[in-house]
Amino acid sequence: MSLFAFLGTLEIGLVYGLVALGVYLTFRVLDFPDLTVDGSFPMGGAVAATAIVAGVNPWLATAMAVLVGAICGLVTAFLAVRCGILHLLASILTMIAAFSINIRIMGRPNMALLGEPTIFTPFDNLGLDSLYSHLGVVFFLVLFSAFFVVRLLSSDFGLALRATGVNERMVAAQGGSIGFYTYFGLALSNGFVGFSGALFAQSNSFADVTSGVGTIVVGLAAVILGQTLIPGRRIWVAVVAVIAGSILYRLAVGFALSTGMFGMQASDLNLVTAVLVAIALIAPKMKGRIRLKAAKG
Amino acid sequence: MIQLQNIRVTFNANTILENQALRGISLTVPERQFVTVIGSNGAGKSTLLGAVSGETPISAGRVEIDEVEVTRWPVHRRARYAARVFQNPLAGTCATLTIEENMALAYGRGKRRGWRLALSSGRRRLFQDRISILGLGLEDRLGDSIGLLSGGQRQAVSLVMATLSDSRLLLLDEHTAALDPRMAAFILELTNTVVEEFALTVLMVTHSMKDALACGDRTVMLHQGKIVLDVAGEERDKLDVPHLLEMFSRVRGEELADDSLLLG
Repeated sequence: MSLFAFLGTLEIGLVYGLVALGVYLTFRVLDFPDLTVDGSFPMGGAVAATAIVAGVNPWLATAMAVLVGAICGLVTAFLAVRCGILHLLASILTMIAAFSINIRIMGRPNMALLGEPTIFTPFDNLGLDSLYSHLGVVFFLVLFSAFFVVRLLSSDFGLALRATGVNERMVAAQGGSIGFYTYFGLALSNGFVGFSGALFAQSNSFADVTSGVGTIVVGLAAVILGQTLIPGRRIWVAVVAVIAGSILYRLAVGFALSTGMFGMQASDLNLVTAVLVAIALIAPKMKGRIRLKAAKG
Repeated sequence: MIQLQNIRVTFNANTILENQALRGISLTVPERQFVTVIGSNGAGKSTLLGAVSGETPISAGRVEIDEVEVTRWPVHRRARYAARVFQNPLAGTCATLTIEENMALAYGRGKRRGWRLALSSGRRRLFQDRISILGLGLEDRLGDSIGLLSGGQRQAVSLVMATLSDSRLLLLDEHTAALDPRMAAFILELTNTVVEEFALTVLMVTHSMKDALACGDRTVMLHQGKIVLDVAGEERDKLDVPHLLEMFSRVRGEELADDSLLLG
């Protein structure tokens, strides 16, 4: 893998690290399997791209993407909490609806951002290669987001949010509203995913409705891979782990594809992802069994 | 203080499975009174507690806690007024969180949960201080996951957690039923200590007649969703388990007599 490809992979890994953060919040913290991300990711891109083309400041456009992502999460939460629809199904409904809405937002299925100002533009004139400056900007945004999540989950509010995913009855008995925490958690999670979509669109200079397909699997792969390789109960460890998982996932995929190992091609990505996630899920069980055998032996 | 007026709870209303769990129960528990509730399976003991905590939706009646009507309030709003300990030790604590995190969660009951760090050194000192009364050595293990503790230990921590917020009402739902006899005795003793120290008003459901008479200062017996016995003071002091059993079988006997009349 060339340095050029490596830095590019690192950047994509960090951008998807925000998706991983979002998926960590729903899957791990809230125990709410949320497929909304497949819709909120391209929606973040669509909103940011449309706003930028319309002349909106790129930072404001990115903030709009975060907000719209959060609204997607609220819709899913509404369907699940208020209407009592099965969590998975509620999120699939939002995801499907988002596809149509994304095309409405852009007025077409995809949109180019070439030559438009992005949040990266001011950093392009610093004399650094744009690859380094983009990476730097993304790194700081992800760092800031990660810090925010760690701090939030360490607060009184975050503690109740974490307990909601484990023992709803206890949280209610301690005065916490399960519905409220579900709304908040899903909004926050999809806000991060919308943010990621906006960064992705600006970094790649295009937004496309189909870019959301499989976002959940990528996010899940990052969470599972990261937490398997970097286990630990502390929140900051978990947050670092899922972001590292996202980068590792990209590196593994990039490596597998670029070396032409086993004669693989780009379209094998989904298969590679599925195998990676499966291995990451099986590995901890295997470790336990081996330990058990060693103890017996 | 708890005031229940003519509470009715009907499960599966208007179906063939209709079950009237509570049939018009009125009960007033004044400030600082410790009421024990007994009755056979299906008598409505836990349903009664659920009506107070909000977990059981009531079909008719009125619930007041500390002179505030809470009939339509959801569980989490009522939690401001009442601490609870469940029968299942796993239900009252959050297994994946540490002991101190569980305590911080309970500390926030009835308060606004904000951006402040859940665990500060000040709070840790408070938690350490409170948990040390258990004498279980848990004060040095605050950072351990609570899932590592035994059921009895978790129940003991739940009781301490109930005192971390400043509500005056404690609802106990057969909180010693899932424990071995030694641990159950320890938890019961602890309950008495805590109630005394924090001047709590208590509604305790139990299936042990011995505990019902040994604890608290008033005993209510439920049968088929109605209060069939309500004793306090001297009358209660004179009661012992055989007496209570006799009264219990008399209540059921009368019902049998009714049945025999019907059948005859």
